Amino acid sequence: MTTSPARHLLASLAGIIVLAITATLVASALGPASERILTVFFISLIAVVGMGVYSGNSGILSFGHLSFMGVGAYVSGLLTLPAQMKMATLPKLPDWLAAAETGFFSAILIAVVVTSVLALIVGLALNRLEGSAATIATLGLLIITHGVIIGWRDVTRGSQSFFGVPRETTLWAAAVFCILALIAARLYRDSVSGLRLRAGRENAIAAGAVGVNIRKERLISWVLSAAIMALSGALIAHFLGAFSPKKFYFADTFLLLAMLIVGGMSTVTGAITGAVTITLVTEILRRFEGGFNLAGLEMPAVFGTTQIGIGLIILFAMFRKPDGLAGLKELEERFFPGHRVDPAQTVTAGAVKPVDPTPLQGQNLTMRFGGLVAVRDVSITVNSGEILGLIGPNGSGKTTLLNMLSGVLAPSEGTVRRGDTDLTQAKPYEVANHGIARTFQNIRLFDTLTVYQNVLIAALSTKNGERAVERCETAIQAMGISQFAGSDANTLSYGDQRRVEIARALACEPRRVEIARALACEPSLLFLDEPAAGMNREETDDLMATLQKLTGDLGLGVLIVDHDLKLINQLCDRIMVLNEGAEIAQGAPEDIRKNPAVIEAYLGHS
Amino acid sequence: MKKLLTLTTIGALLAAPSFADTLRIGAATAQTGGLAPYDAPVMEGIHIAIDEINAAGGIGGTTKIELIEKDVRSDAAQTSIAVQELVDTGVSALILPCDADPSLAAIGIVSSAEIPAISTCASSPTLPMIGGDYMFANFPGDNVQATVSAAWAQEQGHDTAYIIYSPDSQYTTMPLYFAEVFEKMGGTVLGQDTHSIGQQDFSAIATRIAALPEQPDVIMTSSYEPDFPSMLKALRSAGVTSQMIGSDGIDSPTTFSLGEAGEGVVFTTAGYAEEGSPLEAFNAKYKETTGKDSETVFNAVGYDLIKVIEAAVLAADGSTDPKALRDAIANLENVQGATSAITYKGTDGMPVRQVSLIRVKDAGREFLGSPSPDAALIPAPRMQ
Repeated sequence: MTTSPARHLLASLAGIIVLAITATLVASALGPASERILTVFFISLIAVVGMGVYSGNSGILSFGHLSFMGVGAYVSGLLTLPAQMKMATLPKLPDWLAAAETGFFSAILIAVVVTSVLALIVGLALNRLEGSAATIATLGLLIITHGVIIGWRDVTRGSQSFFGVPRETTLWAAAVFCILALIAARLYRDSVSGLRLRAGRENAIAAGAVGVNIRKERLISWVLSAAIMALSGALIAHFLGAFSPKKFYFADTFLLLAMLIVGGMSTVTGAITGAVTITLVTEILRRFEGGFNLAGLEMPAVFGTTQIGIGLIILFAMFRKPDGLAGLKELEERFFPGHRVDPAQTVTAGAVKPVDPTPLQGQNLTMRFGGLVAVRDVSITVNSGEILGLIGPNGSGKTTLLNMLSGVLAPSEGTVRRGDTDLTQAKPYEVANHGIARTFQNIRLFDTLTVYQNVLIAALSTKNGERAVERCETAIQAMGISQFAGSDANTLSYGDQRRVEIARALACEPRRVEIARALACEPSLLFLDEPAAGMNREETDDLMATLQKLTGDLGLGVLIVDHDLKLINQLCDRIMVLNEGAEIAQGAPEDIRKNPAVIEAYLGHS
Repeated sequence: MKKLLTLTTIGALLAAPSFADTLRIGAATAQTGGLAPYDAPVMEGIHIAIDEINAAGGIGGTTKIELIEKDVRSDAAQTSIAVQELVDTGVSALILPCDADPSLAAIGIVSSAEIPAISTCASSPTLPMIGGDYMFANFPGDNVQATVSAAWAQEQGHDTAYIIYSPDSQYTTMPLYFAEVFEKMGGTVLGQDTHSIGQQDFSAIATRIAALPEQPDVIMTSSYEPDFPSMLKALRSAGVTSQMIGSDGIDSPTTFSLGEAGEGVVFTTAGYAEEGSPLEAFNAKYKETTGKDSETVFNAVGYDLIKVIEAAVLAADGSTDPKALRDAIANLENVQGATSAITYKGTDGMPVRQVSLIRVKDAGREFLGSPSPDAALIPAPRMQ
């Protein structure tokens, strides 16, 4: 299933096919030199979208993807290399491999499968790393693969040329495979897995809190991207007929990454833009490399012009267009509107479904950070149908307690249980799947995704994604943010000067989106960490009404942390007060207001 | 009689040279990367030869040479791309990079386009062997060079040898040919070591050799810069004093600027500028053209390559047809180049040409001779 409007996908698929076929026809008409440039372009583009499937969606830059291209090239080359040639150039090849001689297409298929299996094994190990550690690890992968190809002389001819591969990659073959790769990348981007991965890229913690298992999605995209790289490698091998391990090392990694970065990592549009730009520039510069005559001025041959040119383009892109020339949106997303949601609030089946009444119980929870005890031996019960307020001065451990209950932090001591289920060591995405959803003190939205997508991810990643669209739209309606459904989350709080008034009205919207996202998980328990922060009184009242309606209508249990005592007093059925990590009071609002310990904690000794 | 005369006239007319206006040559050589120290000087020599021929009105006074150049960055894949582009522009002959490995990358294109291709200075005899009818080399073969240096070592009374080679390229496996000839002639090879191209650190190998119970009389390698200078310095600083024997890859200015460590190193190469020799004349011309002294034989090797093509065009009666040129090259005999007389006739594309032995002395060249190797000792070419 895909998560973007069908008109986007149809527009992009049509665009890809028309572009590729037009380019192929034009190049065929222009002659063999253009055909070759376009063939190499298609093959490079396959590799660039292959890298984009992983790096673009996960946000982890990979230097290691040319390993998979290399594996694809060598595996397919070994399969199609004529047996006679193998005897002459690879005399020590194992017998079964020496005798193997398959056709072009079966060789590609086998190469893609072998590479995918390899990627799965490597991915299981690499997946444990985050951020720049993961990037550096991919660099290690590149170096190790290069070393293995060089060292495995009997099979690869070491660092010598691997040659004699039949040159079977025609322009049309490259064009068709390129179309397939682009479509695969485009569909993946807006698949459930792709959307979840992009959410993880935007904000890993929030993605976890709405039920996204980022590692799983990363592994899927890693294997898919490796398969696309292998396709590219097999095609280049059968285009060149000869290559050496150098072809799959730093120089080409640099070239392909340049395409990806210049064009924009996160979109297929970006991959195409980058590949076109860099190919045009290198083709032009390469012609000048041999020296040229400019209006009677004889320029000497300068070899290496191409690399310098690419370097300059990257610098330009980083300064002027850090997200790449194509930015963060697919072309069709700019032209066609995104999701629309009917603002009329409809009572759907989902909204009246009774929720799980089992309370969540935290027993004797303690959290230590080194020598600091942030929460000391606190027990808490969150019941359904009840709004529990959690208050206390700054640094009293409210958020830490919330983090332990929602799986963001594993408690140093104590247990978290819901009925028979022990959630003490559960990951955030597992907690989310037990009907517990939350918002964050510092707004954590998936900035570059639309409001609709922000909410949809949550719906898709919990309860097995059942009735996801319905749940998503209900949540959006419940929060009254239907009019922003197609807007990017990060545009909500910004407006140009002419719309200052509107901007002010919008300023609080990110927080509402966040609550909608939590609701889309169809939770039975909702944790809200300072939901009213930054809202004016009117907006706060509005929010309060919404929350009361939710608990009343749906029987939701709410745990709310806020500094707005008026809000807490009016909203909550029960209030728990923390100070210096320990519970100092608990009870009905009116009792808490009179509690001397609470007054002391807030106001000090009088 | 009259009829015969007519026939002869017609025949003579038919056979009359039909010189084309231009001969287009495509050069895909390594102007950057590891092979640039060889291909860059070769291209200088090629330009000198082409300018000289064109200044005199072209080959046979009519056929000017047009040269199209591409840089292949010492890379196999890039060679394949560049050669294909050159073929697209309709060249009659191709010039390929210095080493067999990138040149081999062009095999498929060269044989299907049926255009003769000459590697600037690849010396691996396997290149024309695997490359087919259209692939030619322009340098004394590795197996021939190894035979010359092994025979010289034996003559000097050296009985034991040690070889250091790199399996990373065909060329750097020349010591295996050396070991074969050396043993055939009654010598003993005490051992061998391998390294990778660009390794730089040779201390482990040096320590191992220094610790041998018996020090070898000679150490043979065909490694080139930047590996050779590091290897030599590591060996000397580990106290190894064996005679070093190298090959044409170290015929570069670097070798003569190594100071004490470089002194006494012996290597085989494609020629020596004896007094009155064509090489001396070439070097004078080089200085006249470029304003500097030629510091490597590779300048002259480039000049030779164009002389071979010129001779082939003349032998093909001025034809620039690639197939005619191929057949002409394959039958060339004793073409006088700057370094030596060059013969392709009777070979599979690996030319018969002079091998010179040079010893580094006082940071300059000492000529040890240009012995003709015993044909019976020359090992058969093989992929290794």
